[in-house]
Amino acid sequence: MDLEAAAKIKQLEKENRILKKKLLRAEDTCVQLEETTQKKEALLRQFIRELQDSKTNLEEQKQLYTSLQKQSLELQTALKELRQTQTHLIQAEKMSSLGQLVAGIAHEINNPINFIYGNISYLKEYIQSLITFIRLFKQYYPEPIAELEEITEEVDLDFVQTDLPKVIDSINIGTNRIRNLVISLRNFSRMDEAEFKAVDIHEGLESTLLILQHRLKANNTMPEIGVVKHYGTLPLVDCFPAQLNQVFMNILANAIDALEDATNHRQSVNNKELPKISITTTHPELNWVKISIHDNGLGIPNAIQEKILDPFFTTKEIGKGTGIGMSISHQILVEKHGGKLDFNSSTDKGTEFILQIPIKQQSSLGV
Amino acid sequence: MLKCFIGHSEDPDSESAVVEVVEQLRAELGDVMPQAGILFAAIDFEHELILQQVTAAFPGIELIGGTTDGEISSLLEFQQDSLALMVFCSDTITISAGIGQKVSEDVAIAAKNAVEQAIVAHEEPVKLCISIPESLTVGGDSILDALKVTLGADIPIFGGLTADQWQMKQTYQFFKSEVHSDAVPVLLFSGAVKFSHGIASGWQPIGKPGVVTKAIANIVYEIDHQPAQAFYSRYLGNMLPSLEYPLALFDSDDGDRHFMRAPIGLEDPEIGSIHFLGYVPTHSIVQITEATHETIIAASQQSFDQAIAAYPGDSPAAALFFSCAGRRRILGSRTAEEYGQIQQSLEKALPSCGFYTNGEIAPLQDQGVSCFHNETFITLILGEV
Repeated sequence: MDLEAAAKIKQLEKENRILKKKLLRAEDTCVQLEETTQKKEALLRQFIRELQDSKTNLEEQKQLYTSLQKQSLELQTALKELRQTQTHLIQAEKMSSLGQLVAGIAHEINNPINFIYGNISYLKEYIQSLITFIRLFKQYYPEPIAELEEITEEVDLDFVQTDLPKVIDSINIGTNRIRNLVISLRNFSRMDEAEFKAVDIHEGLESTLLILQHRLKANNTMPEIGVVKHYGTLPLVDCFPAQLNQVFMNILANAIDALEDATNHRQSVNNKELPKISITTTHPELNWVKISIHDNGLGIPNAIQEKILDPFFTTKEIGKGTGIGMSISHQILVEKHGGKLDFNSSTDKGTEFILQIPIKQQSSLGV
Repeated sequence: MLKCFIGHSEDPDSESAVVEVVEQLRAELGDVMPQAGILFAAIDFEHELILQQVTAAFPGIELIGGTTDGEISSLLEFQQDSLALMVFCSDTITISAGIGQKVSEDVAIAAKNAVEQAIVAHEEPVKLCISIPESLTVGGDSILDALKVTLGADIPIFGGLTADQWQMKQTYQFFKSEVHSDAVPVLLFSGAVKFSHGIASGWQPIGKPGVVTKAIANIVYEIDHQPAQAFYSRYLGNMLPSLEYPLALFDSDDGDRHFMRAPIGLEDPEIGSIHFLGYVPTHSIVQITEATHETIIAASQQSFDQAIAAYPGDSPAAALFFSCAGRRRILGSRTAEEYGQIQQSLEKALPSCGFYTNGEIAPLQDQGVSCFHNETFITLILGEV
């Protein structure tokens, strides 16, 4: 009994020790767990903060990106506009000085040519009188003195009498040509006209062709470039005439360049096709006129068709082309006149530029 | 045939506890004398008294062990303030113990002494080493490196570093009847021993990465050119860095792979340097980590499953567990689930013993070179050919 009691006491003592220890341990564990939980809370709080920060950062970056994208777009647009303005300025400056030069020369030539032109009728009249006088002199004095006989033979008076009216006619024709050319030059430059004016498009085309005449004629390397005109009946068109003439000049000059290239190529392959430019004008819609300028050159390669309206794009050798002709033409036609500029090109049919211009500008329509 | 037996007492009284443990073992062993043993004891016990009684009860036992942060056995499962002893009996396996002292003075000599002392008994090549070394006086990986140099890198080393229930003051290592501190005890196995292991953690990196800009061995002075403490206080506020919040160190070759280094506190509060349980090389990319109860408990089971799957024999004789004290700290009252879950998954009882450590030792893969770990759960399965 004592032994059993002693064992029981021993067991109880052990359990007591364990419980005491476990109580202490539980307290320690509680403190440890509190600490661990606090740390975990702090860690997670900071982590959430970091996530929020990174979210804010992300949003900020997104905003920054969007605004940068916008700025980049604005810069691109500004750059494009700047290039266009630059192109325009260069061309305007060039055309302005060229126009001034042309207008100045035309003016300077105009006065003496008018002087000549105005006096040709008197010249003709005086010469006719002189010829009549010589005829009558010979009739009434068939036997002149020897000295007179001698000089008559020397100057071949009979020939002079027949040729002089021809020379005068020839001078008359030449003078007329110079006069027309001067008129064309003045017409082309139209420096004085900064406003929309109602203009005969055919007149502009003709002036341009006349200025380009020297390039259309046959020379050592080129046969004559035939110009076929299919002019319809067009009303007067509201436009800046000088600028529109500049467009015709650019397109026609390009057509001539293309035909020169084509001729060189064709001669090398013994192709007898002759260079030709066809100009067709129509009035297909109430407020529109359409001008087609077609050359039978080799066409524009597909790879560069998209680029031909880009400023400074040129296929010509250095010094020959500036690369701004087509770009400025597009700008004049589309932006200044609200018109359209299209082209079709193929290697077998050449290139056709189609210009469409509204007859009345919106401002004059009261829109 | 390798036979393993367990004695485990939760009696806080040293005398009573050791008597109980010895009685439990004698009841299992009968007249058989165990060859070797591993003893895990809570820090508060009178360790000398315990060791004397164990060696008196089992003369000639090749015994090693150490103080812990908690004990595990198949007898009482998870306990704190308890005494657990696993003993080994085999005719075909040679097991011997050795001790090296003053690791903080010369870790290489300490490791050499321990191995040389133990290896004398072996006629066959050593196949396995278990070590329960000091954790506070020197970095765990320097002890491991020294052991590898002496043993050869191809001998797998397993074990855990001794602990002191988070006091971080002094831990003790056991060798036969002697109690040491600042020492490295080893238990070498040769002969017909078979074994396999598993390792898993459950911790995940979280938050912003940093770069270690100044570190010497296991002391980190600066992270991102700021005092190392600042890296921690960013997350933990005024609370000090501790074992359960290790740093993940990223592999420079493989950005996703990482291992962990646990801090045990500030080394110098004036400059904010932190004392880690293992090396943290300068230029390491580090990130704080965290774990949840679920990921920790799942990792323990994963570790055990790995070990069982890798075991080369039919019926293992025993399992040893080395689980990090940081795991216990986070799990709190759920710590018992680590082993509890493993035990439930067993079809038949497997004598098991283990402890909560201040750092674990095991190869990363089967047949691999042993590494030093923190925050892991290591399972070592033992058996005989």
